[in-house]
Amino acid sequence: MSDLLYDLTQLNELAGGSEEFVNTMIETFLEHTPEQFESMNQAFQEKDYKRMGDVAHKIKPSIDLFQIQGLGELIRSVERQGKNNEPLPDLTQQMATIQQVLFDAMNQLKNR
Amino acid sequence: MLRIFVVEDNELYARTLQHQLSLNPENEVSIFGSGKEFLKNLYLKPDVVSLDYRLPDMTGDEILGKIREQFPELPVIIVSGQEDIGTAVNLLKEGAYDYIVKNENTKDRIWNAVNHVRDRLRLENEIERLREEVNTKYDFSNIKGNSDVLRRVFKLVEKAAQTNIVVSITGETGTGKEQIAKAIHYNSPMRKKAFVAVNMAAIPTELIESELFGYEKGAFTGANNRKIGRFEEASGSTLFLDEIGELDLHLQAKLLRVLQEKEVTRLGSNIPVKVNPRIIVATHRNLAEEVKKGNFREDLYFRLLGLPVELPPLRDRGNDVIILAKYFADEFCKENKLAKLQIGNAAQAKLMKYRWPGNVRELKAVVELAAVLCDGDEIGEEHLNFHSSDGISDLMSEETSLRVYTNRIIKYYLNKYDNNVIKVAEVLDIGKSTIYRLIKNKEIEI
Repeated sequence: MSDLLYDLTQLNELAGGSEEFVNTMIETFLEHTPEQFESMNQAFQEKDYKRMGDVAHKIKPSIDLFQIQGLGELIRSVERQGKNNEPLPDLTQQMATIQQVLFDAMNQLKNR
Repeated sequence: MLRIFVVEDNELYARTLQHQLSLNPENEVSIFGSGKEFLKNLYLKPDVVSLDYRLPDMTGDEILGKIREQFPELPVIIVSGQEDIGTAVNLLKEGAYDYIVKNENTKDRIWNAVNHVRDRLRLENEIERLREEVNTKYDFSNIKGNSDVLRRVFKLVEKAAQTNIVVSITGETGTGKEQIAKAIHYNSPMRKKAFVAVNMAAIPTELIESELFGYEKGAFTGANNRKIGRFEEASGSTLFLDEIGELDLHLQAKLLRVLQEKEVTRLGSNIPVKVNPRIIVATHRNLAEEVKKGNFREDLYFRLLGLPVELPPLRDRGNDVIILAKYFADEFCKENKLAKLQIGNAAQAKLMKYRWPGNVRELKAVVELAAVLCDGDEIGEEHLNFHSSDGISDLMSEETSLRVYTNRIIKYYLNKYDNNVIKVAEVLDIGKSTIYRLIKNKEIEI
């Protein structure tokens, strides 16, 4: 694997040296993110953009915390489209990117 | 220790909050992922709640409402994903402690809000402690109660304590005249010296003189040693002369002289000794009346009047009855190593209704007996036995209208004489048409 898609600087800062906290947070992230993404993706498939935006809103803090490369802006875009109920033409592409990067980042975190 | 409940469905976020708040070891943080789970644990009474406004199962204001039902004062910090001024204003109106929007500053803001809550709780505790201190000072340790009439007494007592003016305490038997005298003494500059009390009614007349003024060895048969009188003993302190109204006339003259000259002469001696006790007298009699009747010297009366403090009878002290009853029950249980007793509602009502001819002393006896008689952890109506057999007082204690009393009397006799109206009219010496009218108007039911 090439460069890391995540950055733990913020998390470490928050942890203030507590390795245990860092591990708990990573575990929690790995445990909940797949189902959150699934739920967002499903809402997207069903064209329930409002719900899609809501879930995006919930995923946002995790992406920010782990500083997943490039996803901060994307997830905000999805959230905005959901809130306004106005899907942009490249929403499909955005979802695919999010899925790709998010799961790659999670794999990297698993094998850290 | 500050117990913090974090209600947040985003586990990652919740854990972050928990971690950060736990950096202060005084914080004990619990996480709840849903409104239902939180409400199930609300009985644990957290000190502060951080509440995510948008939970999967309930809305923020629903939960806030439920919290308010149980704990109207509990500080709730609302954490919301979106900035929405309208919602924020409404929530704050409904009593939210703070409204915080989730962004990069949220954690700091929650941290600050929690610290504010901690400071507030600390101040509240401090206020509570100070208030208690003030109250202890005001209730003068032995005198319990909160009624307006008693507060007026406290004001006088406070004034009395600041000077050494003669204080005359009046009040029915058992109202706590000696307690007031002690309160004045222990709040006065003489508090470090012994409080000397003499009950005029408890000492045979012929011994009062030697008790008060002392005697020299050989003054009379049996005077084998010199004895210091109470006046000398109390010099520089407080002398409490209880039941002063019982003092007979020739001793009244002697007392007056001592008060005027500020010196006593022991029996069998002719050398006067300077004394300067602070005098407090008490009586259950109306001394002005006794003066009129010629039982009490007028000059002594005015000499002793000083600052008059009239103690209200217990029946005029409203809710003090309950405060005192609880106090006596607690004290009795503490002394006898019993579990704490509650006083049931019916019992409280019964206590409030009674006229208390023996006042606080009677209440204490009634409560202590009830504490012995009751088996559970609550004093019930049936455990309260009033010693007074004064039926008329009991009847009058209701303070209802004359018409109600009249009707009750007529009803009583109707029952007694099998509803024979003519007989009842004869016994009560009223017209039988009056009784018929009352029955017709359904004021009396037969």
